[in-house]
Amino acid sequence: MKRRQFIGAGAAIAAVGMVGSREAFAQNKRLVVTNWGGDWNDRTVKFIEAPLLESKGWTIVRDLNTAPQRRTKLVAEKNLPRGSIDVAHLSISDAVFVNNNGAVDTIDFKKIPNASDLVKEITTPFFLPWLYSTWEIVYNPTQIKTAPTSLAELWNPAYAGRVGVTNQHYQDYIQMASLLASGKLHDFEAAKKKLLELKKINKPKVYESHQQIAAGFKAGEIWIACNYRARALQFQADGIPVNVAFPKEGAALQTFGVCVPKKAQNKEGAYVYMNALLDPTGLANLCQANYYSPANNKVVLPGEVGKKITLTAEQRKKLFPPDFDWLSKNDAAQLEWWNKEFV
Amino acid sequence: MLEGKTRLRAGALVFPALLLVAVFLLAPIGLILRFSLDVYDPSTLMKGVFSAENYVKLLKDPFYTGVLLFTAQVAALSTAVCLLLGYPVAYFISRSPSEKLRSILIILTVLPLLMGNAVRSAAWMVVMGSNGMINGLLLALGVINEPIKILYTPTAVVIGLVSVLMPFAIITLQSVLDSIPVSLEEAGRSLGYSPLRTLWAVVMPLSIPGIVAAGAICFCLAMNAYATPVLIGGPSVHMMGPLVFQQIAKVGNWPFGSALAWVLMMVTLVMTVISATYLNRKYF
Repeated sequence: MKRRQFIGAGAAIAAVGMVGSREAFAQNKRLVVTNWGGDWNDRTVKFIEAPLLESKGWTIVRDLNTAPQRRTKLVAEKNLPRGSIDVAHLSISDAVFVNNNGAVDTIDFKKIPNASDLVKEITTPFFLPWLYSTWEIVYNPTQIKTAPTSLAELWNPAYAGRVGVTNQHYQDYIQMASLLASGKLHDFEAAKKKLLELKKINKPKVYESHQQIAAGFKAGEIWIACNYRARALQFQADGIPVNVAFPKEGAALQTFGVCVPKKAQNKEGAYVYMNALLDPTGLANLCQANYYSPANNKVVLPGEVGKKITLTAEQRKKLFPPDFDWLSKNDAAQLEWWNKEFV
Repeated sequence: MLEGKTRLRAGALVFPALLLVAVFLLAPIGLILRFSLDVYDPSTLMKGVFSAENYVKLLKDPFYTGVLLFTAQVAALSTAVCLLLGYPVAYFISRSPSEKLRSILIILTVLPLLMGNAVRSAAWMVVMGSNGMINGLLLALGVINEPIKILYTPTAVVIGLVSVLMPFAIITLQSVLDSIPVSLEEAGRSLGYSPLRTLWAVVMPLSIPGIVAAGAICFCLAMNAYATPVLIGGPSVHMMGPLVFQQIAKVGNWPFGSALAWVLMMVTLVMTVISATYLNRKYF
């Protein structure tokens, strides 16, 4: 082989190699993210994925499903050689469930620069917290002139037929009743008695989800319920006549974030994604739109919205992070009781 | 010999379809049966054992037997309404003198099937809601002072199911009525029967196979309905389809969900076979 031919062949091999590595690079910038649909996903795209990832050449493939479907898919894929999901958006209770089933990785928080100042109370080794909110009293101020201060207000006979509950939040309502009855979050027996009392006294209207209870408030069917502060503020922003009140008994925390499935194909990409989720600017913009509190302490929430979202020091003392191991073990029993006795 | 070869060829032609059914229908059903004999464990989802625990729980617990009975009642009522309301429509289409009119009526009947169940249920929610059309009308007419509860009741579920199932009933009945010669009705009329008596004494008995088929289709679909009970029935109306989904997808209790699915399938099958056999024996 002549020298010129040798150099040519070498260049050709290098070129092929470059194309190959470019393709491999392009593949590394493709991420499959499973998330809720609707406005939750729309806002994730608008404030995080589009400006912080897709604008930098990342391709996000979205697998939008309900929480039970995503949870089931993660558990079902744990025994496959290759999983289909790189990042899974979950509530912390679902994250505990998939972790108990060995379906997700432990997260190396050192690989996420924006995770250096997370809210500690809601951080676990297998779950990157992103947004959180508190379970509070939501009421119609035109019907209930004095702001409620206690969860007991839902049991007030003056509101017979005007109390709403959401079926999808059976765990939250059981926790709320437990908190009122015993001061503890997971006294299931005390909660059962209390909820049956509520059923007897006020005959609550049962709605399936957030959207339906919002419609119930709007139509004047109900005057008082419980929901996340974030959702109540969203209802308010949508013109629905509601206010939110922090109960003196305290409030359970609900946290949303992400997990990395054990069989994810692009784990490095998953870390880039998680870092983007906690970006202080992106997260501040998102929280001003959806009224959730950011899990990154570096996020600054300005103005009136910031005041509405941010918990006071006094309220922070009364937060109850649920025991998710307990919830995971008792979920079936709770749902069964809720269906059979309460709804 | 030739007959045997022809039979073999015919068998070979059926084989791919049989294989598909075996792989994609019977195998999953078998798998569900196996799951139903496992035991639920909150941390590992399933413990691989052979236990009748789930079936015992289902059959002993009045809540689950109550849901099964209620589902059968709703399905039977929806089927009966579909047959009662669908039969005259199917007869009218079948005896329509103009071919063009027949085609238009058949298209109009099938048209709702082009929309998904969920979309149709959502439309019913708009009609039956507290601020819906029915309540709006009744309030405007002064019949009621405040909205009445129509949505999220068993009645609403029956209305929703009837609207979903009616096209199946009409099309099935119409195809059987088409096969009954008009001359038989003319013979009945010439013997002095009124049109109604002719319909009752001549057409109805001959159309029993169509009634059985339409009833079986409607009943099976109603027993296994999901979207309509969830959207129109709401959380307080419990039916088997949503219960299976809830156990499998919400709680992760696959063994009990599988047992519910198996019992639902068996009850549907047995009730359909019994009613079809009874009607066929009575009239043939």
